[in-house]
Formats: sequence, structure tokens, C-alpha cells
Amino acid sequence: MVQYNFKKITKVPTGKDFVDIVLSRTQRQTPTVVHKGYAINRIRQFYMRKVKFTQTNFHEKLSTIIEEFPRLDDIHPFYGDLLHVLYNKDHYKLALGQINTARNLIGKIAKDYVKLLKYGDSLYRCKALKVAALGRMYVDVQPYAFTTKSQFVGHTDYKYLRYQVIDTPGILDRPFEDRNIIEMCSITALAHLRAAVLFFLDISGSCGYTIAQQSALFHSIKSLFMNKPLIIVCNKTDLQSLEGISEDDKKLVEEMKSEAMKTLIGQGGEPREGAEVLLTMSTLTEEGVIAVKNAACERLLDQRVEIKMKSKKINDCLNRFHVAVPKPRDQKERPPCIPQAVLEAKAKEAEKEKKRLERDLEEENGGAGVYSASLKKHYLLANDEWKEDNMPEILDGHNVYDFVDPDILQRLEELEKEEGLLQEEDDNEVEMDVEDLTPQQQKELAEIRKKKSLLIREHRIKKSTAESRPTVPRKFDKDKKFTSERMGRQLSSLGLDPSKAMERVRSKSRGRKRERSIDHGGDDMNVDDDGSNKKMRVRSLSRSGSRSRSRPPTDVVVPGEGFKDSAQKIKAFKLGKKSVQKRNKDARKGEGDRVIPTLKPKHLFSGKRSNGKTTRR
Amino acid sequence: MRLEKCWFCSSTIYPGHGIQFVRNDAKIFRFCRSKCHKNFKMKRNPRKVKWTKVYRRLHGKDMTQDTTFEFERKRNRPERYDRNLTENTLKAIKTIDKVRFRREETHHKNRMKCKIAKERKEARKELDQQIHMLVAPGAKDIHLSPAKVTVKVQHESTNENRIEE
Repeated sequence: MVQYNFKKITKVPTGKDFVDIVLSRTQRQTPTVVHKGYAINRIRQFYMRKVKFTQTNFHEKLSTIIEEFPRLDDIHPFYGDLLHVLYNKDHYKLALGQINTARNLIGKIAKDYVKLLKYGDSLYRCKALKVAALGRMYVDVQPYAFTTKSQFVGHTDYKYLRYQVIDTPGILDRPFEDRNIIEMCSITALAHLRAAVLFFLDISGSCGYTIAQQSALFHSIKSLFMNKPLIIVCNKTDLQSLEGISEDDKKLVEEMKSEAMKTLIGQGGEPREGAEVLLTMSTLTEEGVIAVKNAACERLLDQRVEIKMKSKKINDCLNRFHVAVPKPRDQKERPPCIPQAVLEAKAKEAEKEKKRLERDLEEENGGAGVYSASLKKHYLLANDEWKEDNMPEILDGHNVYDFVDPDILQRLEELEKEEGLLQEEDDNEVEMDVEDLTPQQQKELAEIRKKKSLLIREHRIKKSTAESRPTVPRKFDKDKKFTSERMGRQLSSLGLDPSKAMERVRSKSRGRKRERSIDHGGDDMNVDDDGSNKKMRVRSLSRSGSRSRSRPPTDVVVPGEGFKDSAQKIKAFKLGKKSVQKRNKDARKGEGDRVIPTLKPKHLFSGKRSNGKTTRR
Repeated sequence: MRLEKCWFCSSTIYPGHGIQFVRNDAKIFRFCRSKCHKNFKMKRNPRKVKWTKVYRRLHGKDMTQDTTFEFERKRNRPERYDRNLTENTLKAIKTIDKVRFRREETHHKNRMKCKIAKERKEARKELDQQIHMLVAPGAKDIHLSPAKVTVKVQHESTNENRIEE
């Protein structure tokens, strides 16, 4: 018998998917670009390749399907029957046959179209042929949808051996012919497999069928249980226990049990002690499930062993076995040695109840996301009240842990003492060699300093302006700084009597004036201070550099400035302004300012123009 | 959570601030801000950089040795929690801070002591030498009048003769 591995059969895609797969494969694996300007041979080649490629793909995939699906004669009759039940043998054969036909047809189509393509004379024609070819292949592949159904199969272990468990869906009590597919599955399984049978009985009746009905079912299919170890399992004992059911039901159960015993006896050999045919369990509370499993496995194992023992081959094997048992040399009993402590512990464990774990606590308090275990629960502290304390780690920019010290109080005391001493010392210590000035003296000092600072400031201003501007000579004094009255005031504030000095000054100036009165002409040179200065207003000292506010009208010529007449002065001003204007517009500080803050500012050099050229911006 | 000290300037680094640099020899350098970090990268010696604590300590500007510093020491062995001890510690920290602050102030005062004497001497000298700005040497009236001083009525203002212009 050929072993087929049903798992290895590749899943058959639906018709549509199948076509999609093949076509997309074609698209990816063959060149995609073709132009009508290419040589005709090249175009033909391109399309022929596509058609051929598609055909080979279809062929390949269909072949794999045909080969992977087993032939009905080659598989275990159980599978064969199962297949028949689910799908119908004939249908299966037909399907595979049709796939085969499709494969051949596709091959033919491809051949034909390739032949036609050889004579294609334009891109358009070639393309049309290709489309037609692919279209026909597509139609052929359509009607193959394969599905499989399976029962629940699982594995379990017992005594180092693997046991396969098949769960068959429930069976209804009906005549054989009326049964539907699912039931037929179960029945076929029962009929063909050499297995132990577990008949599940719902004791509580919550499935909707009474025990009587279930029992009737049992009797109708018991013929299938010939020669198979049978165990009756009463399920759902958490709802209804075996003892609690009614008398009639009990009788029925007993009948089933006796049937089961028959199989046991029929198995050969006396019923061993411990062999059971009637078991109870509950899947909800999970009691008795293990017992059922063990019983079933045990029975099956026994059966297999029996069969093996009876077969001819066993004699060959038996010769090779020999179980050696050590010969007892005296009558002394030598039981296995178990330390006393272990025995005691075992005994204790049996009586001790389950310890309450953290996990249980967590579950009680709301589960994993809600409850957070208190990690401080098991702290060993001097006082248990402190367990949940939050200790501060940082205080005022210090780490508290750095200060923690068992003797901290003592040391603190010492510190305080020390501090007290130091403070006393400080208080005694105040002495100074040099005495402080009296308030009067301090005021004087302040005055002196004010005057000095004023002088310094003036000097600084003069210094800065003198380099960049021509200074007006002293005799053309606009600010009335050099008046005799002023001199008088200053001298008197210093504590001197100014009268003599002022007289001398006046006399001198008068002298000069008297001399000049003889040849007094239209000379503008030595202008009298009083004259035109009437128009000038006093400005504050600090503004001597700037000429922002009060200025004489432009056309008035002051002799020291160096202009011939007012016209020249006006022209000079105009020229000066003109030279500055352009620079100011360019935001330049002066002649020498060549700074370009950003050489190429992006916003001026980027972008498109709706109107105009970008060559000049 | 621990407050660390900046390697360069010795200020405290609070959580969420600064950069830590681990050298190949596994020495960790912590910096409080990019200023210190950049100075470090320039390979400057904090002992020579005027505004760091190291410099100040080294050059005697700030207090170096004191008993208050010994209270704060990194202890590697954890102590079992004791509520009373913690309470005392927290209170102690405050008093220690106060003491330390006071001591630093006295240190500063002592340092600045000489300056006052010097200042006073200079002031006296200036007053003596520059008095000519207020009173001319040959002046007959020696009364010095502070010009334009608003004198409060409560003050005992000396009747200065304002010398008339």
C-alpha cells in the first residue's frame, strides 16, 4: 500500500485565483515592454514567449494537482470510504480526469496560437492573438474547486506510547440509509478502524435526548463494535451523578454495560481485575477524564498485545526475549528504601490544603491589569507600620541617602555646639583700623566724585567728536560757555570772589572793541557774541556733538565755517546730502560699508514668474 | 533618583538635565549644561576657569574644609529603613544647610574685610586731595555748600550760606 501523506497535497486554489496566479507570474517573469517601432521579429518573439510561458505554467500546476491527489485504490479503505462519503468516488475520478483534459487542451491552444503568431504582421495583431490565447486557456481552467473536510484528530500519550484520538460528531438514531454525511463519517470510521470505542452517554439529559433514546441508539449501532474494546462513558456527572438517575435508566445503563462486557470477554481471556467498562466523568470539572483515557488506552494496548501474542511471528521474537530476575539468596525482605522524612512530607502534603499564592490574590482583586502587588509586603523592618512609607530621595538639592547615618543626631549636636562657639567669636571680633567717614564728609566726597565724573564725560564726548568733525574755535562760542558771567558763577561757587576777574575780562574786551570802532566796515570776521547768537538757543552740554534739534537756518553764514556766502553754504549742504542719500537708500552705514548680509537670499532667487523672465529678477 | 554633580562646574544636575559622557575607560563625566560640556570638549581645565567651584575653592574664594561637608557622603551600603532615623535626617539636612550657609557668609566677610579698610583709606585720601573741586585753595569762605540739596525739614540742616552769584 502506497503511503500517501495528505498533508503534503498543495492546496488547490479556486479557479479565479488559479488563473490570477498564473497570469501574474507571466507578467512578472517575462519582459513587459514592447513598442510598435521594434523589429517585427522582436514583437513576435515577445508575444510568443508570453503565450508559451502561460501554457507551461498552467501545465505545471495542473500536473502537480493530478499527481498529488492520490488514486482511490492506493489509499487505505477507510480513507477511500471517507472520500466516497464526502465526495463520491466517481465525482473524484471525473474531476481529476477533467483536470487532465484541461491540461491537454491548454497545450493545444498554445501550440495553435504560437503558430499563428509566427505570421503576425503588426504589434496590434500579435497582441490580439496573445489575448485570445490567454482567454481560451482561462475558460478551460475555470470549473475546479476542490474542498476537503476532515474530522477532528488528535494525539495523546500513555505509557510512553502515542495514541491517536478521533472525535466523531454525534450520531442520530436513524435507519442506515437516512443518515447524512457527517454521520456517515462517524459510521465509516467505526466500521473500518481497529480502535477502542468510547461511547459517550449524556447522563443529565441536557443534550435534549433521554437516556432511553441514547440507549436505543447504542443498540442499533452495536454491531459496529464487534471485536473492539468498548467503554461506556457517562458524561456530565457534575449535573447528574450515576447513582441519582431513575430505576429505568439504571436498567438501561446496565444493559449497555453488559454488552460492553461481552466485548471484553470476546477479547479473550478473563476480565482482569481493574478492567472497567462503565466510567463516569465530567468535562467541566475535569474529574474522571484522565481515568477514562487511561482505561481506553489500557484496553486498546491489551487488545493489540493479545493479537500480537497470537500471531505466528511472535514466536520468533519470544526466543530473543528473556527477562532476568535476580535470584533471592535468602528469605530477607528487601523493600525499596524511602527516607522517613519523605514519607512524613508525603503524608503532610496530603492533608495540607493548597497554599494561597500571590496569583490567587491577584485574581481576587481584579486580575492582572487592575491589581498591582505590593512589593513592600514582606519587608523586614523594626516596626511593621513603616512598610508602606514613601521615603523622600531628594530634599533641597541634596540626596537624602547621603545624609542617612545612625549617629546623625549626635553629630548634629556636636555641630550645633561648634556653631555656637563660632558665633560668639564672631560677635567679639568686630574691629576696624580705619574709621569710616562722617556723613558730612561722605557728602563732600560724593560731590567731588560727581564733578569729576562730569568732567570725564565731557572730555570723552569731545574726544570722540573731535576726530570726526571740525570743532568750532573757541572764540565763536555758540553755547555761551565762555561768557564772563559764567566764569563769575563758577568762581563764586568755588568760594572765590569773582568781581575782580570779571572786571579785568570786561576791560580787555572793551578795549578791543574800542579799537575796532574806527575802521568798522562790513567785516563779518569778528562777530560780536551778542549779535547773531541771539538767534541761537542754549543747548545742553551732552548734546554738543549732535545738531539735531535747534539749528540756525541754513543760509545764515557763520564766519568760522569757511563759506563765502549763503549761496555757497546752501550748495555745500546740497552736495553733502546728495552724496549721502544713495548710500542711505542702500542701508549702508557709510562709504566704507561693503557688507552683504546674505550673498544670495533664497527668496529673491527662487520661484517661477507668472510674467517676465527669471534671468533677471 | 540621584542628584549628581557636574564634573566641570560642580553644580547639581537635576533629573532631565545635562549630558553624561562615558569614556572608553568607563569613567563617567556628567555635565549640567552644554556650556560645561563644550568647555570640557575644548579640554579646558576647570581648575583654571574662573567661574567654576573648583577654581573658587582652589583659590580660597569659597570655603574648602568644614565639618558640614562631612555630613554629605555617598554611602554605598544601604541602610535598613527606619522612620525615626529618616525623620531626624530630614530635619538635620535643613539645619546643616543653615549652618553651612552661615559659615560661608562669614568666610566671605572675612575675605572682604581688607577691602573695606582699603576703601576707606582711599576715600579719605581723595577727600583730602581733591577738595579743590569744591573749594578753591585761596577761598576765604570755607563753608562748603552742597549745591541744590533738598533737605528734609526734620533733618538738622546746617545753615549753609549759599554764596550769591
